Amino acid sequence: MSRIAAFERAATRAAVAMAGALAALAMTVAAAPAAAAAQGFPRPEAPQSYADARLAIATGRYPEAIAFLEKMPRNDTSWFAAQADLARALALVSRYDDAERVARAAAGMPGGREALTALGEVLRTRGRLDSADSAFARAVRERASDSLMARVNLALLDQRRGRRARADSAFDRFIDVYNANAAALSSREMMAVAIAVRELGAGNPDLFRDALRAFDRAVAIDPANVDARIAIGELFLAKYNASEAQKTLDEVLGVNPSHPEALVAAARRAAFDGQPGADSSLAQALTVSPEYVPARVMVAQRLVDVERYDDAAREAERALKVDPSSAEALAVLATARFVAGDERGFNAARERALAINPRDAGFYVTLAEGAGRVRRYAVAADFARQAVAADSTNWKARSVLGMNLLRLGRIAEGKAALDASFKGDPYDVWVKNTLDLLDTFKNYDETRTPHALLMIEKTESPVLSIYLSDLAERAYTTFAQRYRYEPPPPIRIEVYRSHADFSVRTVGLAGLGALGVSFGTTLAFDSPAARDAGPFNWASTVWHELAHTFTLGATDHRVPRWLSEGLSVWEEHRARPGWGQSVSPEFLGAFQQGRLVPVSRMNDGFMRPAFPEQVILSYYQASLICDLIARDFGEQAIVALLGEYKAGRTTDEAFRAVLKESPAAFDKRFDAYVKSRFARALAALVSDGPEYPAGMLPDELAARADSMPGSWRTQMLAAEALTRARRPADAIRALERAHALFPEYGGAGSPAAALSGLYLQRGDTAKAMAMLGVVAQSDESAFEANMMLGRLALARRDTAAAVDAFERAVWINPFPADLHSTLATIAAARKDHARAIRERRALVALDPVDKAEALYQLAVAYRDGGDATAAKRAVLGALEEAPNFGKAQDLLLAIVEGGSP
Amino acid sequence: MSAPERTGTWMPVAALPRIAAARLVRAACVVALAMAVVALPAAAGAQSRALIISGLGGEPRFAERFRNLAQSLATALHARFGVSDANIAWLGEDESFKDAHYKGQSTKVAIEREVKAIQASARPGDPVAIFLIGHGAGNEAESRISLPGPDLTVTDLQRLLDGLSAQRVALVNLTSASGDMLPLLAAPGRVVITATKTSYERNESHFAEHFVAAFAGDVADTDKDGRVSLLEAYRYAVRETKRGYDDAGKIQTEHSQLSDNGSKQGAADPTGRDGTGVLARRWFFDSRAPGGASADARVAGLYSEKFALEDQVDSLRMKKAAMDAATYEAELERVLVALSRKAREIRQAEGRP
Repeated sequence: MSRIAAFERAATRAAVAMAGALAALAMTVAAAPAAAAAQGFPRPEAPQSYADARLAIATGRYPEAIAFLEKMPRNDTSWFAAQADLARALALVSRYDDAERVARAAAGMPGGREALTALGEVLRTRGRLDSADSAFARAVRERASDSLMARVNLALLDQRRGRRARADSAFDRFIDVYNANAAALSSREMMAVAIAVRELGAGNPDLFRDALRAFDRAVAIDPANVDARIAIGELFLAKYNASEAQKTLDEVLGVNPSHPEALVAAARRAAFDGQPGADSSLAQALTVSPEYVPARVMVAQRLVDVERYDDAAREAERALKVDPSSAEALAVLATARFVAGDERGFNAARERALAINPRDAGFYVTLAEGAGRVRRYAVAADFARQAVAADSTNWKARSVLGMNLLRLGRIAEGKAALDASFKGDPYDVWVKNTLDLLDTFKNYDETRTPHALLMIEKTESPVLSIYLSDLAERAYTTFAQRYRYEPPPPIRIEVYRSHADFSVRTVGLAGLGALGVSFGTTLAFDSPAARDAGPFNWASTVWHELAHTFTLGATDHRVPRWLSEGLSVWEEHRARPGWGQSVSPEFLGAFQQGRLVPVSRMNDGFMRPAFPEQVILSYYQASLICDLIARDFGEQAIVALLGEYKAGRTTDEAFRAVLKESPAAFDKRFDAYVKSRFARALAALVSDGPEYPAGMLPDELAARADSMPGSWRTQMLAAEALTRARRPADAIRALERAHALFPEYGGAGSPAAALSGLYLQRGDTAKAMAMLGVVAQSDESAFEANMMLGRLALARRDTAAAVDAFERAVWINPFPADLHSTLATIAAARKDHARAIRERRALVALDPVDKAEALYQLAVAYRDGGDATAAKRAVLGALEEAPNFGKAQDLLLAIVEGGSP
Repeated sequence: MSAPERTGTWMPVAALPRIAAARLVRAACVVALAMAVVALPAAAGAQSRALIISGLGGEPRFAERFRNLAQSLATALHARFGVSDANIAWLGEDESFKDAHYKGQSTKVAIEREVKAIQASARPGDPVAIFLIGHGAGNEAESRISLPGPDLTVTDLQRLLDGLSAQRVALVNLTSASGDMLPLLAAPGRVVITATKTSYERNESHFAEHFVAAFAGDVADTDKDGRVSLLEAYRYAVRETKRGYDDAGKIQTEHSQLSDNGSKQGAADPTGRDGTGVLARRWFFDSRAPGGASADARVAGLYSEKFALEDQVDSLRMKKAAMDAATYEAELERVLVALSRKAREIRQAEGRP
């Protein structure tokens, strides 16, 4: 099903380079004395003329432009236009009082109509909407040269105040203007048309393309029209074409790196793409224009995202000081108040917003998105519904509604909302991807357990559901008891064979670097067959996400991200040795270097990582925090903490209430805990010794390793060189020392992993098994190590160890038939009938070529387990496949006649 | 009506008594229909014949692979299915090769010679299987297998197969890019298998390995009758080929097909029960007839009853979709218990454990 028409330009669009255009402008009108040039066009040191000043504004040299424009004589023929430019330049650097003063003074003079639109814009920026309205109306009445821009601003004001029909009617007239006079329109007039057409796009998405064409024409008429270029970038971004948006904005910022609006748009683009740079762009915007409202609003929004609600509210309040009517600032303020549990503050912000625009769907959309980002999906859906009720043509509201309904497991309702959204906005890639994914749900089976509904692709469902059913129920029992909370059934567990599909289900786009996600009672996972996700322990992933279901539910979704993640990893550790992340040299290194975030700011480790690996390290760190709390304060303290969060407490309040100490004090406790728990490894890791010049010979490294037996790194470097030099005995000596220094570490590249191979080469099976055991216990995804361990154990007739190893392997990769067959055989020999039956069921579920044999073996397992009814059913299945299957015939007769085959 | 399907068999003649025993009690028209459709062999003692053609490898690893596959197949047909050495001819890339079945280079001339030899020695109704192993090329009427000297084209094959019109022929093309041959070679009463769906599937094919393994090992007898039919081998190879790609995390680039009902459109997943794979299901290389040829009237009678029960199982399975599950299961149990008891009676009568 093809749904989308990507929002792109027609191929024929003539690109107009901005730098070149400005260079031409400078050359022709400015007679610039000095040509400097980062961008390859003349850049005078200081404006010498009005044209120079305009160029200075266009290139972000606002103070120089302002200084020149302020001194322009009143008798200059360009004075009124210059005053308008001056007012706008002053506003660009947050000098709003000065901007208003300048514009008002000019507008009040005879001939001042040319400053009215600028005055209106400044007044609008400050939230004085009635005054702005008057200024624009006057500009229209007095036929100012930019009256068309004034007229579109009037319509925008109507729209901002909820007078939608009037605004649309006004916007609609711009189409007539265009059709009658397109060739005669100036760049700014064309831009006014473009803005009007863009706003009409909500009712007819095709008009967005017309708007883009009009903006492009505005640029073609005046390549130096920065505002039009930024509007193009924003339009691309609004229509989900981030790459085109970036191109346009890069072009603008290449010429004017100080344009606040372009910088905020660039920040939005970076955030859209999940790339770094948003914060630095915002910081740059606020350096240029410290009170720039859109920048403050976005900063506030990002603070909400990391659950710093008070800081977010402060940012929003600061924006509202400049523009008390800012719907965006009010919306983010309301969001911060709401998610922090401040009902009074929320209501106050809402009343302020609705007083300005009673049909402000955007206000509720912001709330819904904010609530969704802090995992409060039911609330998000409620807000989205209010947004739809306020404005049925707000397609974003419908998409947010649909996405959150899907997260709540309400698939049909969610799809209906997304369908409606997509009709209105066919450029929305999230919605498009999600609808495409929903189309594939027919290829999935649904299996019910007492507390869960498993949705698994039909080809995998027979085998995965065997394991997942049991795992989900065990998790339910464990967590319900631990967290004293029972989620409303069913917990919806979706398993995706394609990582891209999982990613779309989770974030609407491909490329998510996660394996599972919990929306509360709806969970989504990569299937173990999703090979593009790499090898992973799918069972521990399920366990992890199911733990979220309980910690989220027990707190009404108010648990902070860090604690929910920490508890999930902690639960993995408790569930089965080897599950969950374990300690690594990278973690201890970061600890030693002070690169871990303090407990008091743990959320930053997940949501605003200072370095790429910090997120991964934060998972383990958070699990250690949980471990420490349980050790020092008892497990009940964890439940009590969750209770505090449910009641709306902050981390600071919760820690003080339950642990009787501040997060800062807890930081010290945690520091001591890590130092104590990993004392030996930390000492070995810090003891790095001198530098290791490149080209050191194996003998030199070996000698150094002998002389520094307490240095982990020295031993590892020597071991690596000695292994390469094919000196396994010497390599083993270094690796054994390294392992003794840091025995908990068994990940890829660990001494244990290397030793297991070297021991095997020497035929020392016992030692190899010991090291493989270390690997298996610390690397939950070590499929091959477990398989090797199982085979070695089997060869030594240690069936208990073999079962343990193969069992771990099954939970990493449940698809190899040989693995199930081996495990079933061993289990049967050990009279572990339940396991034998499970494994035989898995073999049948794998749809083997010899299905009759698989069913027969299942029947035998059932019979051995004492379940004659199931045995008969299975053997009948075998004979249905192969009616003359002798062994199966005998078994059937034995069952029905009571003999033994 | 399921009976024509079962009588439409290519079992070796030695099995005919079994069919007769089972069917003569039924309406004669059923048998007559089957005879008309399938042209059952008239002569007793039909012998399977196999011509294995392995083509140019192009590079050592392929040459070795094709040689091994052909040899393995020839060996299995003789050792596991009792096809006499004299009835197996293998032509390959090498001028000479030490193997009882190797008849020299697989030139077009040699192939025509071997086909003529089969024509001369085979009786009407004898089953003849021709296997092609190697690299395929071309498309549609230009489809061919790379051989030493001129390639063998689909047109050549059509001509050769025309010469075997009296025999029951299976053409098994295990080469890459073989798919376009199927519509050109498919004919009523002929089994045609190609390793790929079209000539555009030109990547290295793995279907052949699994198809040969089905005969060389104890892996493909899924109906547990102690024999491997062409359909069983085909289905085994299909499954294992797919599994190979899945396990490697690769996109499958070959999709085999089978036609045995004259259709120019091959079936990817013939079942032997729905009109596809019906003939292949009854194609066996061995001439063994389990029990049906017993001279003991009592044993023959027991077999007759057993065959009737087998028919009931078949009939029931075909009605499964239309039946209530509980009724189906109860009826299935009744018939399978009866069949199992009958098998036990036969074993006891024959003095087998």
